[in-house]
Amino acid sequence: MALIENTEKVNYLNALREAIFEEFELNENFIAIGEDIGLLGGAFGVTDGLQARFGTDRVYDAPISEATIVGTACGLCLNGKRAMVEMQFIDFISCGFDQIVNMVATYHYRTAGEVSIPMVIRGPAGAYGGGALYHSQMNEAWFANSPGLKIVCPSTPADAKGLLKSALRDPNPVIFYEIKELYRKRQIEEPVERGDASLVPLGKAKVRREGSDVTIVTYGQNVYHCLDAANNLKAEGFEAEVIDLRTLVPLDKQTVIESMTKTNRLVVVNEAPRTCGFAGEVLANVAEEAFELLDAPPVRISRMDTPVPWAKPLEMHVLPSVESITEAALRTCRY
Amino acid sequence: MAKTDPARTTKERQSKAEKGAADPLPASLTKSDYQELLLQLYLARYFDVRLIKEKKRGRLRGTLYSSHNQEAILVGSLFGLRPTDWISPIHRDMPAFFLKDMRAGWSNPNRSGMSIEEVCGQVWGKVGSPGRARDNWSHIGSTKHKIIHSTSMLAGTIPAACGVVLADRLDGKDSVALTFNGEGSTAQGVFHEAINFASVHKLPVVTIVENNQWAFGTPAHLEYALEDFARRADGYGIPGLIADGQDVIDVYEKVSEAVAWARSGKGPSIVECKSFRAYGHGDHDDDRAAKYRPKDEVKAGRSRDPIGIMKEKMIELGYLSQKEAEKYPVEGKGANDLTDEDFPKQVVEYLAKGVEFAIASPVPPPEEGAMWVFREVE
Repeated sequence: MALIENTEKVNYLNALREAIFEEFELNENFIAIGEDIGLLGGAFGVTDGLQARFGTDRVYDAPISEATIVGTACGLCLNGKRAMVEMQFIDFISCGFDQIVNMVATYHYRTAGEVSIPMVIRGPAGAYGGGALYHSQMNEAWFANSPGLKIVCPSTPADAKGLLKSALRDPNPVIFYEIKELYRKRQIEEPVERGDASLVPLGKAKVRREGSDVTIVTYGQNVYHCLDAANNLKAEGFEAEVIDLRTLVPLDKQTVIESMTKTNRLVVVNEAPRTCGFAGEVLANVAEEAFELLDAPPVRISRMDTPVPWAKPLEMHVLPSVESITEAALRTCRY
Repeated sequence: MAKTDPARTTKERQSKAEKGAADPLPASLTKSDYQELLLQLYLARYFDVRLIKEKKRGRLRGTLYSSHNQEAILVGSLFGLRPTDWISPIHRDMPAFFLKDMRAGWSNPNRSGMSIEEVCGQVWGKVGSPGRARDNWSHIGSTKHKIIHSTSMLAGTIPAACGVVLADRLDGKDSVALTFNGEGSTAQGVFHEAINFASVHKLPVVTIVENNQWAFGTPAHLEYALEDFARRADGYGIPGLIADGQDVIDVYEKVSEAVAWARSGKGPSIVECKSFRAYGHGDHDDDRAAKYRPKDEVKAGRSRDPIGIMKEKMIELGYLSQKEAEKYPVEGKGANDLTDEDFPKQVVEYLAKGVEFAIASPVPPPEEGAMWVFREVE
């Protein structure tokens, strides 16, 4: 299957698309359901051509009914199918919240392991693009606090493909955060493998940059802010290790703690609000399990406890930035 | 859908069936069907009575949502289903778990319904239940038996019902899903969403509305502004039928009609079964319900006992003698006024097996509380 003409470099969106086409090709039990995903091919084009390729029996344009989209997908999974649900924006997932956290997430638990729901709910997420309050959210913490859901957030094309393939094969429900600002970002295009060689396991973090002075843990779009901040730190004489979590649930604590045995300093960055955000969860785990490793107070950098505002100066003011990450990391290094 | 002719009586239908006339409506019931239906009504009533008594003695954990006075809806709607059909009962429908596919034999281990042992295992909170007592009584289910597990978020299983029958349709099977809902849950957004979706895709989903007039402490006129809720179906372009929820035969006929419509590929429908909630919302609410509901309304609502109505029909048809009808006079009586002697032996013995099993089954070990959040990846 040659989806992508240019085999050398693939963007984040086409990597996702390739993952979906490959898995739908391999397993005819996959059903896709979402708003505008068939005829149109998705608001951003992630499912472009999917219905033409696999037919209207496997790719459904649903009415604007997120709860019923998720619930119907749940029923499909109860009866032998696997489901891929697209949220047009991950912000809209709130309309399907009850079905996700009460129906889907708990099914395996409620049935003492009899029934699992092999469902991926994926959708474009994240701020920094002027999407304003309802097209900018990172609401992963809602679901991290709902037992039974895996949570994934890739930052590169290869991870986007490899993690989505793994998510689609997972027997559990997975919420998959796609960073829409990265969908067509030229600077991050990279070659991706075909088939099983492209698989990336869930639950494994990746060290994006090695360093020995401070560990910066992040995921999604903030990976790039942190890498830029690491360059700033280098100019100040500090080497930062940047860890991309890639999967939040299950959390790869080991990679974080191993890094801290070298650096003894921790900064965690996410673009979700501060209070009960996932960065706080990482900090709490380190405080409980690696307190002795800390030579400086661990730091959270997050969005302020605000919605994401629209006008650019407002949006940038409330979100983590290269500057705010650099400054926090420097303070930590100099503590 | 052909609307049921309201003037057509049970007797007319029966006599037509006996003459062997072609009946476009659901298969007509035989004398032994009537006898079985009456017995199932007794079983559903006895199950509820027994649970009320066990609960009052402090032997059960959780809340009992009595199905007293609404048994005809469960018995009648399940009677015409095939073993391959799906159901999604809610909290007030406990008997539905074992009534499903009962025609295959009450104790047939291969029938597509739960055994009384499994259901009682769940009520008593023991490991010998599907789900090992991890969620409360009313939320059991079994994909093997094609029973969707409900949550406490009502109308929330209608989308799943859409999904299971869609999967069957893709696999070339003609199953139908029956979803059970109180009239209170019809105000949920997901009720509208799911029925709209089912009608767009012509999914074989029959939505039963058990209209018992009360959503916990809120009367029906504060839940929707229609005289007959079934008219809501007009907005979806689907049939809306009204059944007398106290009359097991009428429920059977209307639901069978809706099921036949669904199975033939014509899509979903709503069947409103008009009934009345006998007690409080749950057993915790009985005392308050006696105050917030007008006494006259309760008296009138409970005056049409489904067991009594069925007996009258059977007497009319010559299927039951007056003497036989008086043998188990449970109609119109509350749990406190009834003993095991008031019920047919077969019913009492059947439930006794379940209770015996449940009492003997162990409670789950505490560590199971932390298990099965995720399935291990192979």
